[in-house]
Amino acid sequence: MSKALIIDDETQMRRLLRMVLESRGYEVCEAAEGQIGLQEASFHRPDVVLLDLGLPGMGGIEVLKRMREWSDVPVLILSVRDQESIKVEALELGADDFVTKPFGTSELLARLAVIQRRRFTRQSPLVVVGNLSIDLLHHEASLGEQALKLTPTEFALLKMLAEHAGRIVTQNQIIRQVWAGQNSDQSEGLRVHINHLRKKLGESGPKIINEPGIGYRLAEAGE
Amino acid sequence: MKTTGRNKQPLTVSEVGEYSWGFTLIFVLASACWALLPYTGPHFAALVFLLAIVIAGLRWNRGPVLMMATMSALVWNFLFIPPQWTLHIASPQDVVMFVLFFVVALSMGHLTTCLRAREDALQRHHHEREQLLAEKHRAELLAESERLHRTLLDSVSHELKTPIAIIRTALDGLGEGNPFAAEIETANRRLQRIVENFLEITRVESDAVRPHSEWCEIGDVLHSATAPLQRELGGHPVTINGNENLPLVMTDGRLLAQALGNVLHNASIYAPSGTPIEVSVAVVDGALELRVRDHGPGVAEGTESRIFEKFFRAPDSAAGGTGLGLAISRGLMRALHGDIAAQNQPGGGAEFILRLPVKTRLA
Repeated sequence: MSKALIIDDETQMRRLLRMVLESRGYEVCEAAEGQIGLQEASFHRPDVVLLDLGLPGMGGIEVLKRMREWSDVPVLILSVRDQESIKVEALELGADDFVTKPFGTSELLARLAVIQRRRFTRQSPLVVVGNLSIDLLHHEASLGEQALKLTPTEFALLKMLAEHAGRIVTQNQIIRQVWAGQNSDQSEGLRVHINHLRKKLGESGPKIINEPGIGYRLAEAGE
Repeated sequence: MKTTGRNKQPLTVSEVGEYSWGFTLIFVLASACWALLPYTGPHFAALVFLLAIVIAGLRWNRGPVLMMATMSALVWNFLFIPPQWTLHIASPQDVVMFVLFFVVALSMGHLTTCLRAREDALQRHHHEREQLLAEKHRAELLAESERLHRTLLDSVSHELKTPIAIIRTALDGLGEGNPFAAEIETANRRLQRIVENFLEITRVESDAVRPHSEWCEIGDVLHSATAPLQRELGGHPVTINGNENLPLVMTDGRLLAQALGNVLHNASIYAPSGTPIEVSVAVVDGALELRVRDHGPGVAEGTESRIFEKFFRAPDSAAGGTGLGLAISRGLMRALHGDIAAQNQPGGGAEFILRLPVKTRLA
């Protein structure tokens, strides 16, 4: 059974989230303030944290920063703000994904499942997303039975997106990993390579979805 | 004498006045002392003159004061030091006295005017400083009010959106199939749209919209404009033309998508269900053009620009809607340094044109 920690100052929101999560078999603990949330996190060792960004007092960003000092528990950001920069800041501080209130329960549960899955252990050198499989050992990618011809940059890009399948990855995170050590602005190159990858993945492959101002998310076809 | 004006600048009116006042003062004092001479002796006159010079130095400019010093030395010599009525001085003590008087009078005049000038400069400096501080204070106040405004907007946004979010989650918990729950959900969506529109128009009108430009794929912009409207656009087949082989454009994709989304939403409301909506994309003369064409009744004659005004609603429009969507679109397009226009098509239906000058890059 997974343990979830809800840090949100809205009593009703906490109560509802508790009901939703408990009905899905989660064990739930909650905190109305950031400071208490941090204590709960260290005491209960949850498997996933739902963190509201708009907390009074110690804000969500600060809670996240402190939590990341000693824990890499998956964190889902709950936010009513639609300012993209705050979401990007949270994601780059180590949050795993976000949902924007008002969100649907199914969307929330799907995101939770994905970020909990992220602790993939590299026992297998194979990353699979729908009909896409990437063989890290042989540096090969294929769509169904069809081998994909990718440039080294495209391969690195696809690998990163596939390892984070279903989760948002910010532009900077991609650029830092794929273009490591290159100083020039790569945002344009990123667009171009995403474009090429989309063409190569075609209609049947996973979709690379853009979240404007934030980054990209690789979703299985039909999602 | 009159050429000793400071820095050889032309004499000002006030300086001319001071010269004549100085002249008159010496004349009056000299006459008074002359009358008193039998009782006081010549040295009394010297002290009276010195006093006059000090007082004048505190109020007047340097030129008139130095003129007074020179004049009083000469007058003292001429009228009071024996032998009178000549500039000649008989006794060696009186020569020393005269020289001392001359030096003291000049330096007193000089010192007091210096003192006054410094005081003036100090006051001016003080004044400038106060002005500067006042300006800084004003700027700080402005920044503070802007920050407050944003904080207020954020907190109002939070207060309004939280209950809507709670209703949404609670309805999800009720599950499908209950027709009453479905009505609540429809109403909640409408409420959410209204709240978001009101917040957005407030942001647009208070210049709180800060575009963040980056290279954007137009396909991504179209996707994020249409994806949230799937429910509304369900009854209208949407076709997209011209979006192949388009360059990357430098803009804020999120704001552009929002502007386009409102236009699409508008079209989905006014065009009869089942009629198609055509979106065409082109880059013409360094500008991105997005055209949204519907097959509805079109825009009423004469209201082509008024429909972008806040709260303007077409006379025969159905209930619901705030009359804000298109106003927001225009605000956002202008924040991006573009604009929006509407026209009727010959074959019926309205066409909205979103035009945005952009830098492009081949993708």
